[in-house]
Amino acid sequence: MKSITRRLFIGQTGSGIAVGSAIPSLEVPTGLFESTKSVPLVSSKTQIKFRVNGESHQLEVEDRWTLVEVLRDHLHLTGTKIGCDRGECGACTILLDGKPVYSCSYLAVWVDGKEITTVEGLAKGDQLDPLQEAFIEHDGPQCGFCTSGQLMAAKGVLSDHANPTVEQVKQGMSGNICRCSNYNQYVEAIMAAAKKRKKL
Amino acid sequence: MIEKLKQVGNSVARIDALERVTGRATYTADVYLPDMITARVLRSPHPHAHILSIDVSKALAMAGVHAILTHENCDVVWTTGDKRNKRYLFNNPVRFVGDPVAAVAAENRHLAEEAMAKIKVEYEILDFVIDTEEALQPDAVKIRPGGNLSPDAKGKHEPEVYSRGDIEKGFSASDHVFEDAYASKHQSNAQMEPRTAVAQWEGDKLTVWTGTQGISNCQRDLCRDLDLPREKVRVVCQYMGGGFGNKNQCQDSDLMAAILAKQADRPVKLEFTRKGDFLGVHGRWPTNQYYKIGVDKDGLLQAIQVRNYSGMGPYRKGTGSLVGTELYRCPHVRREIYPVYTNMTVAANFRAPAYPQGVYGIGSMMDHIAHELNIDPVEFHLKNSTRQYLDKIPYTSYGLADCIRQGADIFEWEKRWHQAGSGVGPKVRGSGMAIGLFGARLGRSSAVLRLDSEGKLWVHVGVTDVGTGAKTTMAMIAAEAMEMNLSEVEVVWGDTDRCPYSVGESGSRTTGFTGYAILEAAKQLKQKLEKQGLPKGDDMLIAQVTTEPKLEGVARYGFAAHFVEVEVDIELGGVKVLKYVAMQDSGRIVNPLTATSQVRGGIIMGIGMALHEELLYDQRTGVPVNPGYYGARVMTHLDAPEIEVHFIETEDAYGPYGIKSAGETPIVPSVAAVANAIFNATGHRMKELPISRDKILGAVS
Repeated sequence: MKSITRRLFIGQTGSGIAVGSAIPSLEVPTGLFESTKSVPLVSSKTQIKFRVNGESHQLEVEDRWTLVEVLRDHLHLTGTKIGCDRGECGACTILLDGKPVYSCSYLAVWVDGKEITTVEGLAKGDQLDPLQEAFIEHDGPQCGFCTSGQLMAAKGVLSDHANPTVEQVKQGMSGNICRCSNYNQYVEAIMAAAKKRKKL
Repeated sequence: MIEKLKQVGNSVARIDALERVTGRATYTADVYLPDMITARVLRSPHPHAHILSIDVSKALAMAGVHAILTHENCDVVWTTGDKRNKRYLFNNPVRFVGDPVAAVAAENRHLAEEAMAKIKVEYEILDFVIDTEEALQPDAVKIRPGGNLSPDAKGKHEPEVYSRGDIEKGFSASDHVFEDAYASKHQSNAQMEPRTAVAQWEGDKLTVWTGTQGISNCQRDLCRDLDLPREKVRVVCQYMGGGFGNKNQCQDSDLMAAILAKQADRPVKLEFTRKGDFLGVHGRWPTNQYYKIGVDKDGLLQAIQVRNYSGMGPYRKGTGSLVGTELYRCPHVRREIYPVYTNMTVAANFRAPAYPQGVYGIGSMMDHIAHELNIDPVEFHLKNSTRQYLDKIPYTSYGLADCIRQGADIFEWEKRWHQAGSGVGPKVRGSGMAIGLFGARLGRSSAVLRLDSEGKLWVHVGVTDVGTGAKTTMAMIAAEAMEMNLSEVEVVWGDTDRCPYSVGESGSRTTGFTGYAILEAAKQLKQKLEKQGLPKGDDMLIAQVTTEPKLEGVARYGFAAHFVEVEVDIELGGVKVLKYVAMQDSGRIVNPLTATSQVRGGIIMGIGMALHEELLYDQRTGVPVNPGYYGARVMTHLDAPEIEVHFIETEDAYGPYGIKSAGETPIVPSVAAVANAIFNATGHRMKELPISRDKILGAVS
């Protein structure tokens, strides 16, 4: 991992308006959009190699690029959504070496050598993941913008818990906001998928 | 019991569910065009200021920066941004923190942000006012010409008054008179998809991809504000990530993207940041409600007087109205509404715009009157709820009384509801109920049905499906009307080049308006089919209609009665919803699966409004301090209780198959029901939203 933080980037590029900060209390409200200072640019690039949905990728990324930017803008895997770009909503959740991670709050340079799974990698050919099937059957998505993130977080919950309780599901999913508030349906779908897996 | 149908009434998965769970659904941000550049918006850091100078030269000189718009080079008016005064895309003075100052289009988003950092803006800071009633004081700074009481449609700076009977006579006839004040706060729509627009010019034809609740309205507004003929503007919205009222019509982002694309001669994707979305896009208007209500000795309402102040921000985008008195039978009613300009973020439509805050106020009043008169709230509501709209216009169908009665049984009201504040220990339980209504209007819409030689039905409708399941609903109505299977129906949606006029998904109107057009088109198509038989080869049988059914002398509404039990932690102030029973009269239900999602979602959103959500302002600086998901404290998986939903399917002679409306009614009584349950648990009436921990602790300690 390179010794550079997201916060450092924000400071250096003066782009606080775009990426904001994960912790509201650190924000200085006045000057929220004040951007009169000329600041040096960070544009150094790094070669990274990583796997996405089983496929190897090698590309040169700017050090300030987030993982979600690379997935969407450069690999055209647009199933992963940007809801807040500041680690609050979970729409950008992907699996990093099997664990759910907010890809808006993870720099692309950090994924060198790692394995990523996005929503596009859930189905095996035409065979949907049991979670995807359950999401359809239980009407998980309303507007659907948070759905990819909900699916990837649910993958994480089911890999942590062989036989999860409703409370464990809610706990594991609590970093994924659904403003349509279809939480009941999502939980029911995840419980149904877990039950089905147990039967198999 | 309503008659069973073949397709309508079945629980079926959304016809586009596969796209939504595989990441294949294309939202606006997922549109990538060749040579497309990215735009960002620079916003005012001040609640009220004159822009003395704005220097974009350094930004524009950067390699890769293509166009910059400011008030100096762009005087386009955003018509739907303000229904009273001119609101430009870029205003001077700026009137709220977040008012757009510039839009920058550059090779990529990082460059656009760097360019924004080089724009030098010199402000002259002006006085500002955040508090709604303070804004009406004579010494308050004038935000708009003519003063801070926003004018009515005729331009008069007077409150909007509704009255029937003689209010003073009503109070004279009353044995008890109750007076109290309730307040609700600005709540952000906070839809998951931040405002995004992609604009492309091909010659003189403009295409705008945008997350909109209404492609037809959006196209109309773009044409008007950019002075373009309709055939030169195409609006596309294949999937959109929620709006709840803040994505209807054309938005400033659509206009900015179109103008930047023209100037840069490149396709432009304009993205609001999350913070920009919280500030620059409207939320629900805050209200200060003052009630005076009279009842006779039998507990029958004699007079309802309400005076309400709504904080609209500096631009009049919404009505600022307040609903609630409509629910009650009462001979003497007077309602005064003051929509007020402030330097807060703009407030306009949010799911049932004037309803949940109004029903919170009046529903709390009624619960309190019942309590004071020692009448069970269920009985009080059965006695005092009206069966006629405004006490005079008959409803086309009315299931509210059944919702109340059956809901009380299912909830086991008799067992759960008790003497207010009678619980002991650190955690006390209590139950509350409230009633609500929302329009199930009918109106103009169009539909085109095409039947091909293989028997496939193509349904062209101008809907976008904001998450309500409208595409599926339209397909089911078409299948029912044509006596076909759902699998034989293809819906063509969300593209003004391919779809006829639709009102858009706002006001719970899609099913009633566009569903009706499908029904009429199907009648025509069936007649043609009978005469001509299935078409041959590439031919198609086509029926296209525009319908405008009218309601004369009747009112059409959906109803709801909600029952909730909460547990209040009187040491820590937390409120937990233990049980929630929602009774909904939406007429006939098209798809119980997706309708249930609508009801549950609306209620959970309402619980957030009741307990957590408020855009907070630093009163000294006029700066909002929590424009983001953490700060807004929208409901999460951990907060959401299980919602039990029951539909009372009333028979309604109007509209397609007697279907009424489902999307907005659920949030209407939810806030009042929770507040009343908290009263029942603690014995304390909570008179200001949100009912957060600090307020509970303040009340019980």
